[in-house]
Amino acid sequence: MKTDTYRGAITRAMRHAMEKNERTILFGQGVTDHVGILGTTLNLEKEFGSDRVFETPLAEDSMTGFALGASLSGLYPIHVHIRADFMLLAMNQLVNSIAKYRYMYGGLFATPMLIRSIVGRSWGQGAQHSQSLQALFAHIPGIYVVMPSSARTAYATYIYANSACASPVVSLEHRLLYDYSFDRKDDEDVIFYPFTSFRVRQGGDVTIVATSIMVEEAIRAANYVKEMTGLDAEIIDLHCISHPDENLIIESVRKTGRLIVADTGWESFGVCAEIARIIATREPNVLRAPIKCLSLAKAPCPTAHRLEHWYYPDMANLVDSIYSLCFDRFDHGKQLPSEEYVKEVHKTFKGPF
Amino acid sequence: MTVSHKNMLRDALRIRMVEEKIIELYPSDVIQSPVHLSIGQELHTVALMSLLQTTDRVFTTYRSHAAYLAKGGDLNLMFAELYGKQTGIAKGKAGSMHLCHPSTGLMGSSAIVGAVFSHATGAAYADKLKKNGDIVLCLTGEGATEEGTFHECLNFSALKQLPLVYVIENNGLAINIPLECRQSYRLEALARAYQIPYAHIEDSFNIDTIIAAARPLIEQARSASKPAVIEIATYRYKEHVGVSCDHNRKHRDASAITMWEKRDPLIVDRDLDAYRDEITAEILEAVCFAEKSEFPDHDELLKDVY
Ligand SMILES: Cc1ncc(C[n+]2csc(CCOP(=O)(O)OP(=O)(O)O)c2C)c(N)n1
Repeated sequence: MKTDTYRGAITRAMRHAMEKNERTILFGQGVTDHVGILGTTLNLEKEFGSDRVFETPLAEDSMTGFALGASLSGLYPIHVHIRADFMLLAMNQLVNSIAKYRYMYGGLFATPMLIRSIVGRSWGQGAQHSQSLQALFAHIPGIYVVMPSSARTAYATYIYANSACASPVVSLEHRLLYDYSFDRKDDEDVIFYPFTSFRVRQGGDVTIVATSIMVEEAIRAANYVKEMTGLDAEIIDLHCISHPDENLIIESVRKTGRLIVADTGWESFGVCAEIARIIATREPNVLRAPIKCLSLAKAPCPTAHRLEHWYYPDMANLVDSIYSLCFDRFDHGKQLPSEEYVKEVHKTFKGPF
Repeated sequence: MTVSHKNMLRDALRIRMVEEKIIELYPSDVIQSPVHLSIGQELHTVALMSLLQTTDRVFTTYRSHAAYLAKGGDLNLMFAELYGKQTGIAKGKAGSMHLCHPSTGLMGSSAIVGAVFSHATGAAYADKLKKNGDIVLCLTGEGATEEGTFHECLNFSALKQLPLVYVIENNGLAINIPLECRQSYRLEALARAYQIPYAHIEDSFNIDTIIAAARPLIEQARSASKPAVIEIATYRYKEHVGVSCDHNRKHRDASAITMWEKRDPLIVDRDLDAYRDEITAEILEAVCFAEKSEFPDHDELLKDVY
């Protein structure tokens, strides 16, 4: 089977957007240097010219407003941030203008654009270079917020956004997914509607709703418990954080009666809270056990490796959650994957950045 | 050469040797965090800090090692912090990018570029209200001045006449992007527009010219509560983040480093070799302290969250 990395898929999508849509402009800090946003924008300036691919000064807020102005004038801006944390400087334009523009003017304007950003994790990224802020963005009506968890979804989402979508799209990519290889199916380049959620594994025993890299962790956890106990987990890649497929989630939990939400952000007011809200307000009686949430410790991210290790949930936590939902809640007595096993499946990232 | 000159050169050499130790240790993964080295930029930092009192406060960036040490930060606590140990200055939670040392006046290092301009402005406002005679020094790269907040802070600190010195280290690069791709203004003209006194330090290897340019502005900040901007032409020897060199990359002029190195007193002044043994001993002791220290335990994870 052919494979595709996350990095490769995003790179192809960027090139495709530049090639097929002459209105596309691509800008941000580092889009033209020899690193090229982890390789995804390499050589594009040379190929498509510096009018269409260019560096920006350090000016996140203004360049976000700039994207709005350019979008209103027929261009398709792709604005890239090497860390999602820097988007906090762009919050004013994003929330007060971009998200409002269509609605506030009675539908007279469209503001298509893609804002790409990358969630850092591992190697002491610390409090200001690791944040996973999807909940913050998804809280705001007027933008699509996506977290591609695979090469395929990243590719389809970016092509769809660039070619068929009139809305602003904020994407949070994950640093640790960049080197993952995904099996590449023959229909890899088929573009599907991306502002929804996807079932990535079928199972009848427990539902795992996951975001971003937690989808990958969930798949590995599911394979592990299947092998060890025969349990089958169903996995839903939430993908579009702002517009999840609620029915898909409800239907799955109706079948399994058990739900784990595994997110890369904080629990309260976040994705975990939101999925729990969907169940609780629509069909609370489908649950046979309380929902389990896997998320970050409720703290800023510590730099020290030892603390970072406890800060992030991993595959072992997922396996533990599956067992305690499916067996005894307090003492399931089952063996968890060894630390070596978890380490092996969990890409250990080596710095410096 | 005066005693104080020798001391400054020694202190700068100490910073260089600390960072060279970091380079040596880095491949062994004992330091698991991004490091932004100051190598090439140490001497002016030491010279400027020599004009400050212990109670004067400093705010800086992720490129924090030089400021930390020049402002009197404890070396043991620094290495323990880099190692992610409980005994680190911030219990391992800060790492290299966020060093601080409040007892000697380093109030924080932000990895969000430009964040500290306003922190320094607020701190200087407090000094002014308290009439304590202290000043604040805000040390960042030139890239940071592109952020709107820099302009807002210049305005406010001029408006309120705050005892605040913005020191801008102009190394010509923001990560890998040269100045010409990013800036259409000159810092001097910008400072003048806000009627803020400005000094340019052309030779960051010459202690006399650094002191001569900076002293009047720092004294004026202290005695007359006036803001100032000091720009220093400098050069970072290493890559933006990490411990390697990147001079073979197209964004850098491979010959430039030789020009800087040829004039770098920390390289050419052989008299400084006399300090090497004692500095090495001090560094080894700090590394040993870090190695022997414990990692934080689980309780630390949720400590200090409101
Ligand atoms: C708000 C924000 N935008 C972008 C970045 C990414 N970034 C980190 S350092 C840096 C370059 C800063 O250059 P400069 O201020 O000249 O300081 P130097 O690194 O040269 O010391 C950039 C763009 C960031 N950390 N914060």
